[in-house]
Amino acid sequence: MKKRYLSLLLIVLISFRLSAQEWVVPAENGAKLSPFAFSDSTRKAGAVLFQTNCKSCHGDPGKNNAIALVPPPPDPASAKMQGNSDGALFFKLVSGKGPMPSFKNTISSTDLWRVISYIRSFNEKYVQQIAPKSGIAGAAENVKVLLTWSKETNQVQAVISAMKEKRIQPIAGAEVKLFAKRYFGNLLIDEARNTDAQGKAIFNFPKDLPGDSAGFVQLSARLTDDAAFGEAKADTTLAVGVPTYRPPLNEQRAMWNVVQKTPIWLLLAYIFTVLAVWSFIFYVLLQIRAIYKAGINKNQDTIDS
Amino acid sequence: MSSEVNTDFLHDKRLDAIAADLLRPVGISKGFLIWMGFLTISLMGCIYAYYIQWDKGLIVTGLRDYVSWGMYIANFIFFVATSLVGMLISSVLGLIGFKWVKPIARIAEIIAVAFAAVAGLVIVSDMGRPERLPYVFMYGRIQSPILWDVTVVTTYMVLSALLYFIPLIPDLAISKGRMGHQPKWLQATYEFLSVNWNHSSYQYKILLKAVRILLILIIPTAFAIHTVTSWLLAVTLRPGWDSSIFGPYFLTGAFVAGSAAVVIMMYFVRTNYKLDKYLTVYHFDMMGKLLVLVSIVYLYFNINEFLVPAYKLKTADAIHLHELFVGEHAMLFWSVQLLGLILPIILLLFKFFRKPFPMLVISIVVLVAAWFKRYIIVVPTQENPFLPKQFVPHAWMVYQPTVIETAITMGTILLAVIIITILFKLFPVIPIWEMAEEECSGEKDKHQE
Ligand code: HEC
Repeated sequence: MKKRYLSLLLIVLISFRLSAQEWVVPAENGAKLSPFAFSDSTRKAGAVLFQTNCKSCHGDPGKNNAIALVPPPPDPASAKMQGNSDGALFFKLVSGKGPMPSFKNTISSTDLWRVISYIRSFNEKYVQQIAPKSGIAGAAENVKVLLTWSKETNQVQAVISAMKEKRIQPIAGAEVKLFAKRYFGNLLIDEARNTDAQGKAIFNFPKDLPGDSAGFVQLSARLTDDAAFGEAKADTTLAVGVPTYRPPLNEQRAMWNVVQKTPIWLLLAYIFTVLAVWSFIFYVLLQIRAIYKAGINKNQDTIDS
Repeated sequence: MSSEVNTDFLHDKRLDAIAADLLRPVGISKGFLIWMGFLTISLMGCIYAYYIQWDKGLIVTGLRDYVSWGMYIANFIFFVATSLVGMLISSVLGLIGFKWVKPIARIAEIIAVAFAAVAGLVIVSDMGRPERLPYVFMYGRIQSPILWDVTVVTTYMVLSALLYFIPLIPDLAISKGRMGHQPKWLQATYEFLSVNWNHSSYQYKILLKAVRILLILIIPTAFAIHTVTSWLLAVTLRPGWDSSIFGPYFLTGAFVAGSAAVVIMMYFVRTNYKLDKYLTVYHFDMMGKLLVLVSIVYLYFNINEFLVPAYKLKTADAIHLHELFVGEHAMLFWSVQLLGLILPIILLLFKFFRKPFPMLVISIVVLVAAWFKRYIIVVPTQENPFLPKQFVPHAWMVYQPTVIETAITMGTILLAVIIITILFKLFPVIPIWEMAEEECSGEKDKHQE
């Protein structure tokens, strides 16, 4: 028994040490910069994202009301948080560590930069550096992603094109990821693929992915390198999943449902019992009335008045 | 209760003597005013404490995240428990045909009415937003034991009140002509409440029928009220509450508390109202035997309730039982079990301890222990939840009742005492007509002197 406790203690201590370890950011990731300039609109969008994704742990910036986790989530306004370079913040959001989740697949990188722009708004000394435009210069805004599904092969095809030299051209060699939207976050389908010379990337679709009641699945294809391509992505809903009907938990009559959905037997038992008992009570009240009535006529022979 | 009333007593001289005896304590005396004044002033203090709670919320109590049912719910269970004795004495013993319960039945019924009525208020004291009380009826769920509890407590209270009132009607009529010295409003009240009673055998027949219905009806209702109260705890998975015998465990415990309360009241009536002719040593002896009986049954359930989990020692139960047997609550637990249950059983087996005064002392101990027993049932379980929360301040994990909370709880007890006092003082506590009928028809129990 003692031994068990000791080893438990050891495990706890080790994991404690592990999680207390420095969060190392590789130099190249640390040097990464936002592809766009932070503005009021990015901060506003970032604030909304922060409210829904981060506040539950990190609390309100500047208020030091993060929840008590080990290690503690630093306050976004704190020197610890702000001491990170933009690239380091981005890296940490993408990779996650310990209780801090990875947002790689749940928040697009553009949105992550928006959150960072919001975090930076709590640092007066911060001056932003923007990444030099790279890749297909000047074409970033016009990237198009087209998603189609081939039933025979059960494959989803993404075609990427962009305006280049005033012509629509396929983009070759760009990394594309395909996601299916699930209740919590996005599920990576197949693996990241690079487009071929025609700008095509083909993903093998699983046969057993549950869709909605008609089999529809929300798909989203994204280009990984959004420094080069901006927020290029395509969202489509395709009937590629297995039709699944999950009755809502509150659909049927149940003990734990609302009163309108009381189980019938219980409803009847309750009503019947209450009515039965109270009809007797009512009957007894009528008897008091009967006593009263019987007394009216014969009041004169009351013995003591 | 016999099936027919022999109305010969109405023309018997002995009725006058009995009525004079039993009506002597009735009325507004100086002692009553002083006692009521004392009670009222104390109650004002408690109401002030409630005002603070109303204003500031439950934060002024010791209730926190872990222990959200503290003294209040323990107190609620105690009230419901004590009120059950009305059913035990009048119905169970009365229907079996024990004559000695006749002078005691009304006392038991008064306790039932007072405690059931205040029980509802006790629940309100536990509410952080009492103004939302109507929501129980507007949005209550039939699936919830809370709604069942509201239903049965209300029903039980109405039944007890009727069972108090209906057998009182002939007494009111008998008393009407004998209260010349009483204030006008009291005479008018008697007149009004006696609903034209003229002692005709027809009226007696109706009365007996109504009472019989009530006596039978109140048995399942009383079982329901305390079983449902126990379910409020037992339908959860918590160690210490997750028990299939919680219904009978509560019910038998209730009889112990209620019987003790009746003995205390009997002693009071006997000495203060000088009615030792009606509440004799014999009655105390019988109540003593009743108390032993119900205590032994309760002990049996206690053994089941603690021995079985203690044999298996499932993880959560082990923590809970450790707390009770040797931990934080051990002192209280063993005091309650020894002083409130085991010692009374041993003592009451001897005739000497079934005499009025020893019975009074024992009953007070039993009743106080009964209150703390409810506390032991409610609080320790919550201090050791299945899923402890992380980083909860220590003060939120243990329960420390505050002065305000204690005062509010005292207030509810005062309120019950006030109701009992008023009913004791305004109406005869011992049924005149039943005593007279018994005396005149020579049916008196032979043991009785
Ligand atoms: C489930 C709780 C949780 C959520 C949700 C969460 N974080 Fe964290 N975060 C943590 C914890 C815990 C740490 C500390 C991790 C460590 O140091 O090992 C942390 C660390 C961080 C760091 C690194 C700070 C440093 O040490 O340099 C950043 C940046 C960060 N979080 C940002 C965010 C943002 C932005 C979001 C929302 C998109 C978010 N976090 C959502 C728990 C969370």
